[in-house]
Amino acid sequence: MQTVQQQQNVENARILIDKINKNCFAKCVPKPGSILSSGETTCLTNCMQKYMNAWNIVSGAYIYRIKNDPSSN
Amino acid sequence: MDSSLNNPSLGEFNEKDRKELQQFFENQQQKAKFQDNVHSLTSMCWTKCIAANKISGPQVDRSEASCLENCVNRFIDAQKAVISQLEKIGSQ
Repeated sequence: MQTVQQQQNVENARILIDKINKNCFAKCVPKPGSILSSGETTCLTNCMQKYMNAWNIVSGAYIYRIKNDPSSN
Repeated sequence: MDSSLNNPSLGEFNEKDRKELQQFFENQQQKAKFQDNVHSLTSMCWTKCIAANKISGPQVDRSEASCLENCVNRFIDAQKAVISQLEKIGSQ
């Protein structure tokens, strides 16, 4: 059972990383140059934290909604 | 997941263990579905609420946060509206 839970956590993290890569690359590297500039790197670092922050806010709002309005699940 | 529960080797478990296993898998499936929904909502609402803004720091600001919350709730409202319209059409 622990293995199943672990696999699920790994899968969850994998999806999160994939989404961060896609959304933050789109946001921070609009015109890819010959190297990743320091500005782009800083943007990616901020974006990553911001995305996880957004994930938590969405998760909280979704849980709140499901609790108060079970038919929306 | 259901097919694995019908796997003959599960017959070796007693009734109580089988029920417990089934419950465990149902909970895990529900958790996975919830997390999938949060992933797709976050990605979609990120595009609507944050993608156009300048990323000046690691924090989601107040107006972005309220946009994200509205986004989740209005998406669910929209989903329910679509379903109820379909039900109306279906019952005609």
